[in-house]
Amino acid sequence: CNASTSDVLNMSETFKQGYVVDEQTLALVPPGSSRDQVLLTLGTPTTTETFDNEVFYYISQTRERRAQFLKPRLVDQRVLAVYFNEESTVERIADYGLQDGRVFDFITRTTPTGGRDQTFLAQILSGSIGGPSAESILRGGR
Amino acid sequence: CARDNDSVDLSSYVDTIEPADVLYNQGLANLNTGRLREAQRKFQAVDRQHPYSEFARKSNVMAAFTSYRMGRFDEAIAASRRFVNLYPTHEDAAYAQYIIGLSYFNQMPEVTRDQRDTQLAIQNFNRLLESYPGSIYEEDAKAKIRAARDQLAGKEMQVGRYYLERREFAAALPRFRLVVEEYGNTRHVEEALARLTETYFAMGLASEAQTAAAILGHNFPDSQWYADSYALLATGGLEPRQNAGSWISRATQNVLVRPAGG
Amino acid sequence: LTPAVGGAIAVQTLTMASAQAAVVNAISVRGNQRVAEQTIADFVGYQPGRNFTDSDVNDAVRALFRSGLFSNVSVVRSGSTLVVTVEEFATVNQVLFQGNRRLDDDRLRGVVQLAPRARFDQDTLDADVEAIVEAYSRTGRSDITVDASVVDLGENRVNVIFQVVEGDRTKISRINFTGNNAFGDRRLQAVITTKQSNPLSFLTRNDVYDDQRLAADEERLRRFYFNRGYADFRVISSSADVDPSSGNIVINIEVDEGDRYTFGNIEIDSTVTGVDPQSLTSTIQTRSGRVYSAVDVEDTLIDMSERLAGAGFPFAEVTPVGNRNFDNRTIDVTYIVDQGQRAFIERIEIAGNTRTRDYVIRREFDLAEGDAFNQILIRRAQRRLEALDFFSTVSISTRPGSSPDRVIVVVQVEEKPTGEFGAGVGYTTGGQDEGVNLEGSITERNFLGRGQAIRIGIGGSQNSRTYNISFTEPYFLGYRVAATGNVFQNRRDFGDYEEVATGGSVSFGLPLTDDLTATAGYSYSQTAFNADGADCTDLPGDPDANCSAPGYVQTRIASGRDRIKSSVSYGLIYNTIDDRNDPRSGLFVRAIQEVAGLGGDARFVRSTVDASYYVTVSEDAEVVGLLSAGAGNVTGIGRTVEGFDQFQLGQRRIRGFSYNGIGPTDAAGNFIGGKTYFNATAEVQFPLPAFPRDLGFKGALFADAATLFGSDVAGAMNTNMEWRASAGLSVIWQSPFAPLRFDYAWPLAKQAHDKEQRFSFSVSSAF
Repeated sequence: CNASTSDVLNMSETFKQGYVVDEQTLALVPPGSSRDQVLLTLGTPTTTETFDNEVFYYISQTRERRAQFLKPRLVDQRVLAVYFNEESTVERIADYGLQDGRVFDFITRTTPTGGRDQTFLAQILSGSIGGPSAESILRGGR
Repeated sequence: CARDNDSVDLSSYVDTIEPADVLYNQGLANLNTGRLREAQRKFQAVDRQHPYSEFARKSNVMAAFTSYRMGRFDEAIAASRRFVNLYPTHEDAAYAQYIIGLSYFNQMPEVTRDQRDTQLAIQNFNRLLESYPGSIYEEDAKAKIRAARDQLAGKEMQVGRYYLERREFAAALPRFRLVVEEYGNTRHVEEALARLTETYFAMGLASEAQTAAAILGHNFPDSQWYADSYALLATGGLEPRQNAGSWISRATQNVLVRPAGG
Repeated sequence: LTPAVGGAIAVQTLTMASAQAAVVNAISVRGNQRVAEQTIADFVGYQPGRNFTDSDVNDAVRALFRSGLFSNVSVVRSGSTLVVTVEEFATVNQVLFQGNRRLDDDRLRGVVQLAPRARFDQDTLDADVEAIVEAYSRTGRSDITVDASVVDLGENRVNVIFQVVEGDRTKISRINFTGNNAFGDRRLQAVITTKQSNPLSFLTRNDVYDDQRLAADEERLRRFYFNRGYADFRVISSSADVDPSSGNIVINIEVDEGDRYTFGNIEIDSTVTGVDPQSLTSTIQTRSGRVYSAVDVEDTLIDMSERLAGAGFPFAEVTPVGNRNFDNRTIDVTYIVDQGQRAFIERIEIAGNTRTRDYVIRREFDLAEGDAFNQILIRRAQRRLEALDFFSTVSISTRPGSSPDRVIVVVQVEEKPTGEFGAGVGYTTGGQDEGVNLEGSITERNFLGRGQAIRIGIGGSQNSRTYNISFTEPYFLGYRVAATGNVFQNRRDFGDYEEVATGGSVSFGLPLTDDLTATAGYSYSQTAFNADGADCTDLPGDPDANCSAPGYVQTRIASGRDRIKSSVSYGLIYNTIDDRNDPRSGLFVRAIQEVAGLGGDARFVRSTVDASYYVTVSEDAEVVGLLSAGAGNVTGIGRTVEGFDQFQLGQRRIRGFSYNGIGPTDAAGNFIGGKTYFNATAEVQFPLPAFPRDLGFKGALFADAATLFGSDVAGAMNTNMEWRASAGLSVIWQSPFAPLRFDYAWPLAKQAHDKEQRFSFSVSSAF
């Protein structure tokens, strides 16, 4: 095992999620460029919205995970909003950062749904439990 | 030590042939007295011994019905599908197609599992409506399609909530949007609008949050979801304000009627 | 007006000429024996009064043929009657098989096309005979004869009977390699899955010749050589010829190994702006000078791509370019980083999960919908899903999305049974409960499809009973933390007294990196001591007591109070062992500390460290070396260490001595264990020449050394540190069930009072 000790201990990983912002291509869509040009250079938006006219949103997030068992923590979030005017050319581009977001608990209630569920007994009897497995036949008492 | 089988009399393998009508009536008798397994065996015997005869056709559809009643849905589907292929124009064909739809409908799994059977139920009920318009099963088929679509919407919501909990908004938003745009007539559209409000609000897109909440309030004023969304916006000093042009109002324009009971 | 049949032909020509509308209001069907007239009318689409044009006639003919029931059909309009004449195919009533023992009727019925109610024709019958022969040859029986006979039942219905005469299995008598000098035949036979027949082949069934398997074996040989420096290796030919005398198969594989290469200089160059090659050097596993290995190149690609994705270049693609220079036989590898195709994941659709819930699969993905499509993270998710062992197959594919730069990831899984009614029979020599022990258990690894595991176990031997229920949640509170709750009761009878320990524990496994895991947990146990006879109830030192229990147990029995231990434990496990059941390389280190004293009677800090290092000494002769060492110490907290909490050394630490057969004793000579121990082992494992490779037998030579000393128990003797040593040999059998191990050891250094035990057998689970 040739992993140097630093490899062993550097446990943290970073994840860049969602849209990948590329500063140069951003410069290619100055105000006034057409909707198709934006689609061509920035690609399909994560989601769109229409105020009085259309808006493209490119959402990207960066997460950090100190150790594999931890949940990745949101360290940066960027929402790139491209506002179009009536002639659907770019009016302005806004940049929402992590600080604009709010943290609160989402509602836990959900709309009930139907469908067949499997009880444990059904799982055992429905043959989804295999017969005695080979490994267990000769297991030494500890 | 291969068995010596020359002496075996080949004809002993042939089950005795009984007249078709006798078997068919025995099948019906068993069916009425509730002995489904016995009835099914009789109908299958007619089908095998007198293939493609008039009685075979009758017992084919009865065998399908019996299998369905016994909950053996795969057999019911196989028998019905054979009937529909062989006798597409016969008036019982609608009933056979209806049984296929029902069989899939009864195997619909709950939302966290693969919804293949739900989609197959919708497909088969739609085929019933298209190829046999005006059949007596039309109303029930329509109601069952709505219930199955409600289940599909439930699945989208479940995945949407999964991503929302992990604050992966780029993944959650399209899921909730899909429910509002394509499953507007299901019970989940209220929750979808509420989740959109939460997601936009968490991302800091105030105007979208307000629009989603306004649409929710406009369509479902007394819904608990609207009350929750209203309260949430209030914490940010906002209150629902509908932006007429937004995709949400466009998508829910034609869904003003309250979603029919699921 | 229905013309007599004879006149039909003449009339037909007449109507053909007349152009007036050809309305039919009667139908006459001829030649049908079994198919009902109404059915034929249905096919033809006949309704009284309907206009039947020529194209309708053609449609009718086509519909009748499509039904597959008729060998010949004609539809003619004569006057206002539609005349349909048909010739029916015979229909199959039953398909029967005789003489088949290896493949049962259901398997054969699945192979043939003829089936009840299907139409019968000769070429399908011939095709079915071929299909049966093919099915048998795939299970390794090629000398087999199949002939089919047809019984007419009248009314155009037939029975089909296939008579099968099965020959015996065609065995593979020899596999020989030519052209291999770097690795011997035995080593290469271990690499491929096709094996020579041996007495145990009926278990593994891999002595069956199958050309697909042989082709796959060629691939295995290539990977084996590519990973050991032979970059030019190729299989020249692999053939299977039947030896006329024995009828068995001899397989000849000719290879050309080529030269052995080492890595030359390694470079990274990137065409992607913003990527600094230097930052990627730490991910390189193909260090120059080392022997060339394809696996190292692949691992480098994965690590480098992950580093790039993390640094914000998810679309960067790494492609290795190697160029050989033949004189000093080195390969220079340049990793080229260039911009791949920009694509985002539109949706992750999970299909086939009829039992496992959606989120149990989805949470194994480090990427979410809307993220950049990254092949490496998809492969990592695939590996994780396969490690769950819930599915027989996991296949992740992609479909084009709703726009060119969007793709839909489809995860198709096939569920497999994840439950087990386990029944275990074990035999251990010198364990606390020596002899035969039985164990029954119900295990469900995917409880209600939620990914949780539940196990209910009941076990016992002559003088012990164990009951155990454990439940594991792999994602405790959404973290990737495996939390296990466990409730147990163990009863042990020592003759004069009985010990009943009841308790429970909660433990957490926290993976820090792929190899390093932290553990933490709390456990509570309450042990009751009931004295059977009267001997052990009075205090020790009482002259007439002849109770066999050690002193501290007697005082505990006399006190009449149960002994409670409530403790917290924490530790680290580092594990890079390649294969748990047959380790050949890797390091395993485990350090655990247990602090008892949160209430209860036990008050101690117990620390243990174990390390085992496996290394493949010689690749060709498959000799594997093992060095392992261990240490442990228990110290009281504000009081002395009680006898119950002392260490007792068994076969896992030192062979040649019986369990709890060394270390401090009490006045009566009972071994009471010790406060501190050290142990070390050196072992060499090698394949046994006598046994065929495929049976999985291995031999081993080992030397153990251990010492157990120090005790606070009153009147303890032999408490000073004395080393014990032993050496011996063992036979290890990798049976298809579990690895079994027989050890024979000669004690070299021992103390007078030690209890020897030279032979020991156990089912050895290495960790």
